[in-house]
Amino acid sequence: MLSRVADSLYWMARYIERGEHTARLVAVKLESMVEQSREDADAAWHRVVGALASAEFAPKAHDAYVITQALAFAKANPSSLVASLRFARDNARQVREQLSTEVWEHLNKLYLRLQPVTTEAVWGHHPARVFREALEDFHTLEGVVYSTLSHNEGWYFIQLGRHIERAQLISRLLDLHFRSLPGVAAPKYFDWLVLLKFCCAFEPYSRAYTAQIRPEKIAEFLVFDGEFPHSVRFSIDRVCDALLHVAQAAPPARRAGVERLAGRLKATVDFGQIDDLMGGGIVPFLADITRQCEQIHESVHLAYISYGAETVL
Amino acid sequence: MQHEALAHTEDFGGPDHHLPNRACLPGRDAPYENYALGKPYDEMFAADGTVRQHYAALDGRLTTLPPGELQRRQQACELSFLHQGITFTVYSDNQATERIIPTDLLPRIVTAKEWARIDAGLRQRITVLNLFLRDIYGDARVLKDGIVPRSMIYGSKHYRREMRGLPVPHGAYVNVCGSDLVRNEAGDFVVLEDNLRVPSGVSYMLANRDVVRRAFPAVFRSTGVRAIEHYPNELLATLRSLAPYHDDVSIAVLTPGVFNSAFFEHAFLARQMGVELVEGRDLLVNDNVVYARTTSGLKRIDVIYRRIDDDFVDPLIFREDSSLGVPGLFNAYRAGNVVVANALGTGVADDKAVYAYVPRLIRYYLSEEPILDNVETYLCREDKSLSHVLANLDKFVVKAVGESGGYGMLVGPHASKTEREDFAQKVKADPDNYIAQPTIQLSTAPTFVDGGVEPRHVDLRPFILHGEHTTIVPGALTRVALKRGSLVVNSSQGGGSKDTWVLSE
Repeated sequence: MLSRVADSLYWMARYIERGEHTARLVAVKLESMVEQSREDADAAWHRVVGALASAEFAPKAHDAYVITQALAFAKANPSSLVASLRFARDNARQVREQLSTEVWEHLNKLYLRLQPVTTEAVWGHHPARVFREALEDFHTLEGVVYSTLSHNEGWYFIQLGRHIERAQLISRLLDLHFRSLPGVAAPKYFDWLVLLKFCCAFEPYSRAYTAQIRPEKIAEFLVFDGEFPHSVRFSIDRVCDALLHVAQAAPPARRAGVERLAGRLKATVDFGQIDDLMGGGIVPFLADITRQCEQIHESVHLAYISYGAETVL
Repeated sequence: MQHEALAHTEDFGGPDHHLPNRACLPGRDAPYENYALGKPYDEMFAADGTVRQHYAALDGRLTTLPPGELQRRQQACELSFLHQGITFTVYSDNQATERIIPTDLLPRIVTAKEWARIDAGLRQRITVLNLFLRDIYGDARVLKDGIVPRSMIYGSKHYRREMRGLPVPHGAYVNVCGSDLVRNEAGDFVVLEDNLRVPSGVSYMLANRDVVRRAFPAVFRSTGVRAIEHYPNELLATLRSLAPYHDDVSIAVLTPGVFNSAFFEHAFLARQMGVELVEGRDLLVNDNVVYARTTSGLKRIDVIYRRIDDDFVDPLIFREDSSLGVPGLFNAYRAGNVVVANALGTGVADDKAVYAYVPRLIRYYLSEEPILDNVETYLCREDKSLSHVLANLDKFVVKAVGESGGYGMLVGPHASKTEREDFAQKVKADPDNYIAQPTIQLSTAPTFVDGGVEPRHVDLRPFILHGEHTTIVPGALTRVALKRGSLVVNSSQGGGSKDTWVLSE
């Protein structure tokens, strides 16, 4: 497929994943804040902001209204929910002819629906609702992507984008919960519970470990579980699988670099174990995962998207 | 495609029982209270207010719809267009907003007999325009014989010297043509202009059909409307016929990109044909062969349906400041390694001055009389015409040949005496540069306006495909001037569009 098209599908998926992640974190946070003390709630907001916004656009106040505005509806913040949707749609529009009508229309409708929403308008009554509704739409969109697009090379670029993004988002969220942050209260029992909910992991976790909430078990589950779709390992498996299916006719020499990086990342999570993460090991471990994801991103781009024409003629 | 909320409430019982002794008169009864019949030909009503036979079924439906129902269907249709992203982009105040091109739900209906004449006339015209292009880029017989003045061709900014002596497949320079027709007061279709470069609008023809058929299923069925859905197939077949070989032809649609106002159409056609949609940056030329950059490597391209103007196609040959095109494309074309449709340099034949010569060209090349007339056109370069135009400036629309979009134009009947005198000086100073046409009253068609049905001026743009064969899908884009009394149908000027129903008998 055209390199530009592959690139747009990849980025569309990354932005959709980012938008969904943002909507879920904000929804869960808004729903859970009422049960926390002021100090704990502020600390929790601090972690959510750290997980979703770059320092430049992170709101300075601890006010839920201001934070929601910045993370969800601020058009100037390039990683806000509405900005992610706009970028996802811009990319989809570029490759409109490659998408099914259903995929395009679901994404376009979600964009059109959220674009005019203001924090002011949703704040008066049950502000989490708009995010819950958006999440339903995101889930429908994922289903429509799965069931109406041919599972061809383009679809695998979508999977690649989605799961590279997801692995990094989950890693960053975990990092902020395990790293000690100066001046911020450490996570308490309730925060660990909420962390699971951030990753729609509460019920699957409980089935695996019972409802006993222990940070190392949560880390183990969200990093190493091979079956849960929002674990780092699950996403990395999908990344590796997608890489087997894209650019299959590319010369082996160009594929080799990408495959080596993917294999190394897969080994990192396949053969890692919880002991590696304890005693402060988790923060560098997650940083390593993130760095390896970035390397894969760059090598895919160089091998399949922006390769120099002179190298193939 | 999805059409949420588009009603399927219409009964499917056929139209006949809608038609008792009708008593709804234009200008008097709902929904036609504000339907003022004037001097222009009206598509639906005869001068005495009776409904023309081919509009009877639609009339039957309109007069029996519950109040508000038409409005509801119109809104559902607009929402559907918005969701599908059938929009064009308007740039203002550094903000890009997407707007839908208004679609009027009421179809414009063309009878089988009218269409037969249009079809034959357009075939004749496309044949002659292609013969003309082959001639002026070849032996230039038409110039030697003095049929068309040399200076008009060689002085045209759309004449491409680079095309001289270059053969094109089947002699087909214009592969996709959109001709604008209007109906005059006498009820005859005449050609207003030919668009031979990169005509657009065909996606609206197809999208309009999709929503209007759903809004009026029973009327649609009982009226006997001819299908147009095979247009993308026909376009593909036309493009394929241009390739030097027939197996495994690699075809691409070349678009300027997502910021172009017709991007929706480019993507739509690529998707419907199942071919790649490429931008200039996706293509590269090596050793006079055009390749697309794919994830697996470079892929050869054989036929390019380009939706980029000549000027921007190849910065090495044409405008060097353009980044939309492909450096080296023209040399690959000249080497015969790629076909570009439409060919370069076709714009010379849709210039306003050449337009005036088309009837003479038809006689010259085919020894036939034109089946479709031009709008009567006076060439100011001819002395007799010049004096007639100058003496009757208050009755003419005078246009500069090189301009478009309403620039360099005098609308005689609406101009002041001073404006006319000033313009007369300009025409006298450079008569070659001007043509004049009497003002024409475009026909009117019933259009849904403010909860009622009113007459609005319309034109008709059918699309002609010409490769190894000529194909005209029986349909067209009808553009409608939504402002009362306005004759301007362009979408940038508040125009909308309508579905066009060509009847099978």
